[in-house]
Amino acid sequence: MQISILSMSIAALFYIAFFILAYGLVSKILQYKNTPAPLKIPTMPAPTTQAGVVFRMSKEVVFFESLFKSSKATWLFGWLFHFGLFLDMLRHLRYFIDPVWTWVIIIQPFGKYGSILMFIGLVGLLTRRIIVDRVRYISSPSDHLMLVLLLSITSTGIAMSFYLGADVISVKSFFIGLMTFNIQNIPSDIVLISHLIMVAALMIIFPYSKLLHAPGLFFSPSRNQVDNAREKRHLSKWAEDLEKN
Amino acid sequence: MADNKFDTPEIREYPIIPKLQRDVMSHSKPFIAKESHQEPLGFPGELVDDWHDVAIKKMGDLQSKYRSLQVYLDSCVKCGACTDKCHYYVGTTDPKNMPVARQDLYRKVYRRYFTFAGKYFPKLVGATDLTKDVLDDWYSYFHQCSQCRRCSVYCPYGIDTAEISMAAREVMDTIGVGQKYCNEIISKVHKIGNNLGLPGPALEDTLEGLEEDVEEETGVQVKFPLDVKGADVLLITPSADFFAEPHVDGLIGYAKVFHEAGISWTISSHASEAANFGMFIGSYENMRKLAMRIREAAIELGVKRIVFGECGHAWRVAYSFLNTLAGPWDFLDQNYPIPQHICEVTHGLIEDNKLKFDKSLNDDMILTYHDSCNVARASRMGDKAGGQFVIPREVIKAVCNNFHDMSKDTIKEGTFCCGGGGGLLTDDLMELRVKGALPRMEALRKVVEDHGVTHMAAICAICKSQFAKVFPYYDFSMDQIVSVHQLVSNAIILTGQDDENDENDGENHPQQDIDEAA
Amino acid sequence: MAVDFFNNSEVDVSLEVNGKSYEVDEEGYLADLNAWDADVANAMAEADGAPLEDNHWEVINFLREYYEEYQIAPAVRVLTKQIGKRLGKEKGNSKYLYELFPYGPAKQACKYAGLPKPTGCV
Repeated sequence: MQISILSMSIAALFYIAFFILAYGLVSKILQYKNTPAPLKIPTMPAPTTQAGVVFRMSKEVVFFESLFKSSKATWLFGWLFHFGLFLDMLRHLRYFIDPVWTWVIIIQPFGKYGSILMFIGLVGLLTRRIIVDRVRYISSPSDHLMLVLLLSITSTGIAMSFYLGADVISVKSFFIGLMTFNIQNIPSDIVLISHLIMVAALMIIFPYSKLLHAPGLFFSPSRNQVDNAREKRHLSKWAEDLEKN
Repeated sequence: MADNKFDTPEIREYPIIPKLQRDVMSHSKPFIAKESHQEPLGFPGELVDDWHDVAIKKMGDLQSKYRSLQVYLDSCVKCGACTDKCHYYVGTTDPKNMPVARQDLYRKVYRRYFTFAGKYFPKLVGATDLTKDVLDDWYSYFHQCSQCRRCSVYCPYGIDTAEISMAAREVMDTIGVGQKYCNEIISKVHKIGNNLGLPGPALEDTLEGLEEDVEEETGVQVKFPLDVKGADVLLITPSADFFAEPHVDGLIGYAKVFHEAGISWTISSHASEAANFGMFIGSYENMRKLAMRIREAAIELGVKRIVFGECGHAWRVAYSFLNTLAGPWDFLDQNYPIPQHICEVTHGLIEDNKLKFDKSLNDDMILTYHDSCNVARASRMGDKAGGQFVIPREVIKAVCNNFHDMSKDTIKEGTFCCGGGGGLLTDDLMELRVKGALPRMEALRKVVEDHGVTHMAAICAICKSQFAKVFPYYDFSMDQIVSVHQLVSNAIILTGQDDENDENDGENHPQQDIDEAA
Repeated sequence: MAVDFFNNSEVDVSLEVNGKSYEVDEEGYLADLNAWDADVANAMAEADGAPLEDNHWEVINFLREYYEEYQIAPAVRVLTKQIGKRLGKEKGNSKYLYELFPYGPAKQACKYAGLPKPTGCV
């Protein structure tokens, strides 16, 4: 079988994107992990046990609890987008596993509508960024472009799922091929190709942008520390060294 | 004398989010520290020649030492959730007082020198070089943050602007650009032992005066011990408690509580200061040096417990950092929390029925309570999360008949800073302090109108001084701020006290003078 | 007010009174306690629009005496008690002191008395 230049290029792009994403993310996570937190700074009231911290963090990750406290509109659009993204990513698992797990089959229709949630959320967030003077003030071009990129990925996805259709069998064999280093042809469908190029771009940007909020949350001392400063002495390495002087 | 060339914001009936007005507070800058304030702290006396390179190097150093800083610089998505949460933004409408915009003053430099995107696509991600203008903005706006942590409550990632402000101030100190107020004070503590520069003999004289006053008032010899070896409790309290009003009325309250409970206690002339301004300037070394004075005093006096008086940021450093900075405290009595807050002590004694009160002695007041920012969001009292909200209120309710909380979004974890915290309680920042008090003033105005509240109680020296100063700008009187232990002092019945019935017209009532003034 | 940290110097400004020059800091406090005299106190008060009268002088004199002994300004309570003794009990309260010194007895009176400004959370 002749592999098209397009397929080769997309394959190469995804290998590079995956490498950058993995390398960038792992090095950032290691940096966060290896940087000491010399002082106890949980935002109080904070949990007094480790289990409590897990619960607090779960509420942040799943429900965006703090954002809910601060701005209902941002919470609604932000949560719709992220929840839709989560559903849609689960749905996309079917392109990477064979045979497809039952639960992935079951959630397919939900995942499909996840894209609609994403779309609504993103339009809401972009609108807010443009019309609210405070949010406009703090936005850089990259903040707008990030939303435009996500919106474009979502829109091309919606177009394929609901209107244009795509040769999902070939897409799947392309990605399975990528994973097994046995490159297959990708359909030369302009909507599909632009969808994929933009996803690869997102993967590349991820570790060098504010998308680091995803791992960052887990390392945020104000959220992940236990409130037990009086009971247990907390001492970082460099602070300990300071005591020796 | 004081520069009053600004308008006090109007109390709004419905606090809506104000429209931003660019750079309206860019002129607000505190006095610069002089060489004599800088050098005792280990900082250069004036701007160093290669300040740009020194600053960038220091930024890198701090990022590698503080996970908070590194994670917070990377994680902000500019969602805008914090933009209306800072009292200084609400009061000034200057967009650089929005927490994220304040952080961005630092973040844009971080991005330029430390991130791929900022190095190669600065315009795209809003990265800029560290220039004189940027430094100017830093000096102005990182001294418009009271490190109250309100933004961190509302941030989906818990980003705490206080951490960024502390880092920025440390970078500025390192290049020789310090703030006079904080650094002058820290140098005094290094030298004398407290923020005021109150030497031992003056402290002794002041405490003797208080003993006389209390005896005159109550007929009971309540001691105010200084440097007593072998006392059980070492009281660490803000030096404002010795000096200012209504702070001193709180100190009298602690003394009466200790006396009545039969707890032997002492103040130390070596560690006669609870506040630790090292935190405000983000300097771990200075903070530790100040905290070590407490350890030295505890060892020297051979005490068993350490109790802190009413002081907000001090309680943060005490509760959250003292074990780290000056621990381990294995030589103290492990049956008590180390350190303990005076409200915890009083609350415990109330629960055990060890104190007697006549609540009617506070009937001339209808109280509300201001949660001090650093007690609320950076510390705890008692053994349950949120005890810092419950315990002071229970103390107030045990000694007063009339109490009403302010509206829900302005108290507890959502409390507004008084406007003078974080090293900003200085006359050269009066405009900022008045404007920053706006959200609290609005909440207070509401309970005054709805419930006839006459006084607001607080447990922080800064809050008390700040409100005494800014109240008149909002048509309150300076004596409407009271100490929580002042209320305790008013209502407590000491064993052997002169007959109450003869005098409950207010004679034995420190509150009386100021009520007349009000 | 412009703060120029590219040009920070230890000496601030000086105050001219009757041909004599006094070094003062940014806020108008005398740099040197010993350089103080009655002229400079009067000049400071007049610049603030409220010339000094006898009762002001009682406060100022006590502040200087206290500082001489303790190297610090007296606490507000110490001051009110002393003023009560000197001027009569009805004047021994902070309300009266604020009448005399509207910007605060600790800060305004200290300035006139040539004492350094009290620092800290006050």
